[in-house]
This record gives sequence, structure tokens and C-alpha cells, in this order.
Amino acid sequence: MKRKGLLLIATLLTAVSLIVAGCAGENAKSAGGKIVVGSKNFNENIILGEMLAQLIEAKTDLQVERKLNLGGTLVCFNALKNGDLDLYPDYTGTGLMAILKQPVETDPDKVYNYVQEQYNKKFKLKWLKPFGFNNTYAIAVPRETAEKYNLEKVSDLVPLAGNMVFGAEQEFFNRPDGYDGLVKTYGLKFKNTKSFETALKYQATAQGKIDVTDAFSTDGELITYDLKILEDDKKFFPPYFCTAVVRMDTLEKYPELEDTLNMLAGQISDEEMQQLNYQVAEKGRDAKEVVREFLENKGII
Amino acid sequence: MGQILQLTLEHLCLSAAGVLVAGLVGVPLGILLVRARALAGPVMSLVDVLQTIPSLAMLALVMFFLGLGNNSLIAALFVYALLPILRNTYTGLAGVSPDLLEAGKGMGMTGWQLLRQVQLPIALPIILAGFRVAMVTAIGIATIGTLIGAGGLGEPIWRGIQLANTFMIMTGAVPAALLAIIADVLLGGLEKALVPRGLRAKNI
Repeated sequence: MKRKGLLLIATLLTAVSLIVAGCAGENAKSAGGKIVVGSKNFNENIILGEMLAQLIEAKTDLQVERKLNLGGTLVCFNALKNGDLDLYPDYTGTGLMAILKQPVETDPDKVYNYVQEQYNKKFKLKWLKPFGFNNTYAIAVPRETAEKYNLEKVSDLVPLAGNMVFGAEQEFFNRPDGYDGLVKTYGLKFKNTKSFETALKYQATAQGKIDVTDAFSTDGELITYDLKILEDDKKFFPPYFCTAVVRMDTLEKYPELEDTLNMLAGQISDEEMQQLNYQVAEKGRDAKEVVREFLENKGII
Repeated sequence: MGQILQLTLEHLCLSAAGVLVAGLVGVPLGILLVRARALAGPVMSLVDVLQTIPSLAMLALVMFFLGLGNNSLIAALFVYALLPILRNTYTGLAGVSPDLLEAGKGMGMTGWQLLRQVQLPIALPIILAGFRVAMVTAIGIATIGTLIGAGGLGEPIWRGIQLANTFMIMTGAVPAALLAIIADVLLGGLEKALVPRGLRAKNI
């Protein structure tokens, strides 16, 4: 009886260690020649992670491991700092406010230089050259309205606002860089405001239930619902320029990497990013395919 | 299809690993606590507190120490599986009637023999019920493992949520639900089969 018990325990232990080893096996840190690319779990970041991955695969001999579903800035940033990731795409405004806990700053160059300096010094991480687009808050109106009143800039709304309803998701009304700051900066007085679910506000705008809404400047929905972004002429919204954030030791180890990744510098405009998001989020196309098409059309790969 | 099968196996493997490690710690700890009951309250409260940490926060915390990937997920699942296993082991063993223990002692059984031949067989169905709860919970929680770079069925679920692609969500959610149901039924059956013959309700 006793021996049988011991045997049972021994078997159980072996089974457990096998299972754990089997599951955990792929975790082992790779030897040289492999780059781990991460991204946060929303469409735009996944698309950009995929783009960085394909670029490395096409232009270098390095192998790429993709971890494109990670749960948010904190997870990505810590993984990068710990060396579980070699790089992931992030936004300058996020680095400034979420990671470095600094107050809002609206000058794009100041923000870029500040996060670059702090990241270099504090974390041994480097921001590469920005891709070009700025995924920040934006003010959008239906294209018809824009054409009817000849609207180009947010300031153009000032004389019309008294007859317009402003709609946004609840968060926009609660943020310091949201509604209150916006109307104060521009001196806008809207007739009324309404709050909606994020996904519904575009529909509400398209159906004329609201006249003006907030958006992210690279949202694919802007194309679906044919909305026009008005220029933030008083530079109220903080800049969220995007680029790859890379570990400095990875850049030293693989010197070819920096030039390769910088091939994307200035290559993606707001409209192009909207289009990429639209293809994946609204049309349901595979991100891999959309990215390959984009890189080929641009003559990058 | 092949990919779903592979993700399902991976999912099962990860969940089982977390639960088994929790079993290796939880059952011996439960046995110890029955012998040192003064400690049972504090230890149980501590495990209770761990249980209340939201799963995503737990993953982020564990990730801080173990990095991205399956190890962190298994560690988090271990924490969540520990409470039901520990509690049921303790409750099961503590609930064995003192009369039976006295009878055993009267027959000259040593402490180890009492444990092996009296306490554990009587408590076994309750202990297994703990494993059952732990396993079903683990299969559910493992679906968020993808957020820290672990494998399993979370991948199609989260990607599907991003793309508002219900079919893709289903390819992850349905196998995960089936896995949980099958685990529940199998462990439930085992629970019944392991009731010692002398303790089964007699069909008259």
C-alpha cells in the first residue's frame, strides 16, 4: 500500500514536470539572430507591429517572433524594458504622459525630444524616426456639412456652433485634453452635447443625430462614414506621433536594424493610416496581407 | 481547423499545468494545516486575498517577475487554482469524523496510516471537487493569457474582439467552453467513482 502511494506520487510528479516543461518550453530566450516584435492589442498597433516584422524579415537575415496581442502600454513597455521584446510601436504622447507621467505638451518636436532623451537615459530605449502620422484626437464633421459651410479648421466652427450638437464618447467629456479644454481654447458654444458609445458616435454623426464629433485622426471609420477632420489650428490636442521604440542593446547587436526600420520614417500619412485601419477593421481583411500590399506599393519591400 | 485543435491542446495543457502545480502545493499544505489548525485561518485568508486580485492585474504583476509568455500564465493560474484545492483539502480532511480516527488509532494505526487509509479516502471526493472547480476556473482565465504573450485559445478571442469578427471570437470561445464542460463532467465522474465503497449511498 505504502509503496503504491509513493509510486503514485512519483508518477504524478513526473507527469506535472513533463506538462509544465512542455508548455513552458517555447519560453526559453532565443540565441542570437531573432528579434521579438510586440504590439498592443488594438488594430492600428497590430498593423504597425506586423509592418515592422515584415520589414525586418524582408530586409535582414534576422528571424522575427511576433507577440502582437499584448494587453496595453504597461505590458508592452515592461516587456521591452525586461528584454522580452526587442521593439514595439508606440506614440510620443503615450510615452510622455502614460510612461513618464508628464503634463500635456502640444509641441510635437518638444515631446519627441523629451521622450527620446528620457528613454535613452532612464531605460536604454530608443525612439526611431516617426512614421509620419499623428494619431491624436481630432474634430470631425460629415463631409456634406464641411462642404456646405466651407469648413477647414476647428476655428471655422465658432460662428456655427450655436446651432450644432456636439457628440462624443463619455471619456472625451471627462478628460482634461477633451471637451472642456477644447471649447475654452476655441471659444466654442455648442447648442447641446450628447454622449455615445464609441462605436455608435460615428453612426450618430452619419445619421445627422449629432453635427460634430471627436475622433482619432487615423480611425478607419472616418472613411466608412465619410467624415472630414477639421484642422486643429490652435494646436489644442497633444501630439501622438508613432514610431518603433527599440532596445539600445538590440540596436548595438544588430547594427543593420536601425536603418532598416527607419525606412518607414515619414512614410505613413494620417490618410494612409486611416486607409490601413479601414482595410483591416472595417473591411475585415487580414492584417498581414494589407501590410504586405502597402509595403510593396510604397516600394519599400 | 488544425490550428484550432492545436490552440485547444495548448490551452488544456496550460490550464492543467497551473492546476497540477497548485495541487502539488495545495494538497500537502492542506494536510499540514489540518495538523496545525491555528495556522489554517491566517493562511486561508492570505490565499483568499490573492484570489480577489483581478486576473489581468495578476498577469501584469506576475509578468513583472517572470516576463512574457507561458510561464507567467501558469504562475497566475497556480494562484487562482490554489484556493479551491487548499480549501477543499482542508475542509475534507477536517470533516472526517473523530470517531473514525479514534477507531483507527484503537486498531494501532500510525499517523501516516490514518492519513493514507482513513482520512484521505474519505476526503478524496471533496478534494477532487476542489480540483474540478480549479480546472474550470483555470480554463476560463487562461483565455486572457494571450495579453501577456502566452498561447492558447485567447488569441482568436482577442483578435476577434479587435476586428469585431464574431466568427473568429467563436473559434476561440466555443472550444474553451467545451473544454471547461468536458473537464467538469470528467472530473465530476471521477469524484463519484472515488467515493470509498463503504461510504456510498446504498440503493435499496
